[in-house]
Amino acid sequence: MRAVGIVLRKDLRVLRRSPLLLGALLVYPIVIALLVGLTAGYASSKPRVAFVDEEHLPAVVAVGGHKFHLQTVIDEVAKQVTLVRMSPAEARRELASGKVVATVTVPKGFLGNLETMSQSPSLILRTGSGGLAPRVTQQMQSLVYQLNQKLQAGYIAANLEFVRLILHGGPGTFVGRHFDLLGLDGTQRELAKLPPSKRVRVIQHFVAVARVGLAQTGAALRATANPIALTQPKTKGRTWVLSAQVQAYGIALTVTFLALLLAAGAAAAEKDEGTIGRLRRGLVSFGQLVWAKAALASVVGLVLGAAIAVVFGIVVEIGGVTGGEPWGRLPLLFVGVALVGAVVGAVGVLLGALAREARSASLLAVLVVLPVIFLGLVPRGAVGAAYWISLFLPFVHAVRWFAAALYDTDPWRTIGIETLWLVGIGLAFGLLARLGLRRLAA
Amino acid sequence: MTDTLVRATGVARRYGDVEALAPTDFELAGGETVALVGPNGAGKSTLLAIVAGALEPTGGTVDVHARVGWVPQRPAHYGRLSARENLELFARLEGVADPPAEATRLLERFALPTEARPSADLSVGNRQRLNVALSLLGDPRVLLLDEPTAALDPGQRRRVWEVVNDLRAGGGAVCFATQNVEEIPEHADRVLVLQDGRVVFSGPSSGWASVADEVFG
Repeated sequence: MRAVGIVLRKDLRVLRRSPLLLGALLVYPIVIALLVGLTAGYASSKPRVAFVDEEHLPAVVAVGGHKFHLQTVIDEVAKQVTLVRMSPAEARRELASGKVVATVTVPKGFLGNLETMSQSPSLILRTGSGGLAPRVTQQMQSLVYQLNQKLQAGYIAANLEFVRLILHGGPGTFVGRHFDLLGLDGTQRELAKLPPSKRVRVIQHFVAVARVGLAQTGAALRATANPIALTQPKTKGRTWVLSAQVQAYGIALTVTFLALLLAAGAAAAEKDEGTIGRLRRGLVSFGQLVWAKAALASVVGLVLGAAIAVVFGIVVEIGGVTGGEPWGRLPLLFVGVALVGAVVGAVGVLLGALAREARSASLLAVLVVLPVIFLGLVPRGAVGAAYWISLFLPFVHAVRWFAAALYDTDPWRTIGIETLWLVGIGLAFGLLARLGLRRLAA
Repeated sequence: MTDTLVRATGVARRYGDVEALAPTDFELAGGETVALVGPNGAGKSTLLAIVAGALEPTGGTVDVHARVGWVPQRPAHYGRLSARENLELFARLEGVADPPAEATRLLERFALPTEARPSADLSVGNRQRLNVALSLLGDPRVLLLDEPTAALDPGQRRRVWEVVNDLRAGGGAVCFATQNVEEIPEHADRVLVLQDGRVVFSGPSSGWASVADEVFG
């Protein structure tokens, strides 16, 4: 371990004397993480959906005496997608070409059904067959659910208006026909004018019971319309950008990027400088050299990962975000960052040995790191093969490790499993890197 | 009776289909200096690197009975570190008791710059002197030099030969590869001539002239 320490100190000193390289190594992965984060965030939160209005919906629709600004309601409930108005032909073309992930059509007759309440109007949803289709379907179901919630109030009010007419009587309209209703109140008054008899008393009793019963209709109607209501108190919740997942992904991405490039460059530099021959003369074994470069990636990765975690935490605290930053978990996170840095460093040493010189090693590392990261970003259900390949690379395990360390109530099981994965991957790549260095020294 | 400090038996090196060094026997005894001669690509550097332990042979064995110093043909040190830092670093790896003192001794002996200038910024001659100085860390008894004087001025060449002569006088052994055949009569006891990876002559330095014309054309 003494030789590993000496080579590690040398590499840190060399790195400190390369401020431009060091700056690029620290800033570049952060910029990439931000860009990937923004792109992924935009792509995942706002799929483009075509909105085809065959009914030519007016700006304002009256339902049950309530006026709705329909476009405003749609905009309000459709925050999870970007609705783009299109003609039917245009929407079909864009769905076929994948420019939109779904089309929502308001068919002819929709408005009539909506206003008359004679039957449920339908929206027609068509989706592509890509990986986003199930998610868009869920979002559209959510949109319809929320629209129904808004419209429900109007329907209930309209129904209650009929109940009020039955109770109290008066003029009313149904399917365009006007009428004047006597109502239970009027019926009772008319019954009071009749000479008392057994039949009149029976009818009076029925009217009294019916009035009491119908008086409860409002609450009962609302309860049957919403057997379970979901209430959402207004809180200062985490935005997507400040979510636990983004924090875990951000740190994993930057540490992976940095560790891979750094270890690859540092390993190949031993060949460039001609020192690998000098080192292997019994001074530093190939195994020790792999350890030294992995330790370099681990140390520098830890510095960068810690800086990101602290900055993230400060932003969360300043923003007064619900839940705050789990400061007490940061030491655990740092253990994970150091482990991930070392494992990715072993992969980097292998790349550096294969590339044989520092510039090619950096290029190779950049070419390799992006697929490694993107494979880890592909959802399991989207491309099965990508998921299985990503299991044998460190990135996806790094994300799970960091997310568990930061936010799981009981993180130890996840951390244990992911540590085993990472150690296994690290040992496998470390052995390959050792063989690679032997080839590099030849 | 002379003691054998290094013995290589049947050492060979292949790169795929290319045979860089055919199976070769080589010995270095205490008190002798051997010149390794041959045209470019003859296998001189390969043989020295194998004996130095810097290159793994694809065949044969090397037995080493003394500490070996190696001066590779291309300077091998860290360009971002100064001459002193390079000397201290390798002294630590060699297990030298007092690395800063050893670095100071070698800096003075080879008149190397003592300031913190990165060694990559040194002149070619200074880098080669640093290369030689690094080979002397830990007081080796055997010194393997791969064209050590190629980039040096006459004064520095003299200094390198002083090191060689001191080592030989102390019972050590030296093997140097060279293209400068004028150095051979003065500094070598024995000559090993390589051509296309094979030994074509091995004998006293006085007798090698018979193959020189044939080898160098």
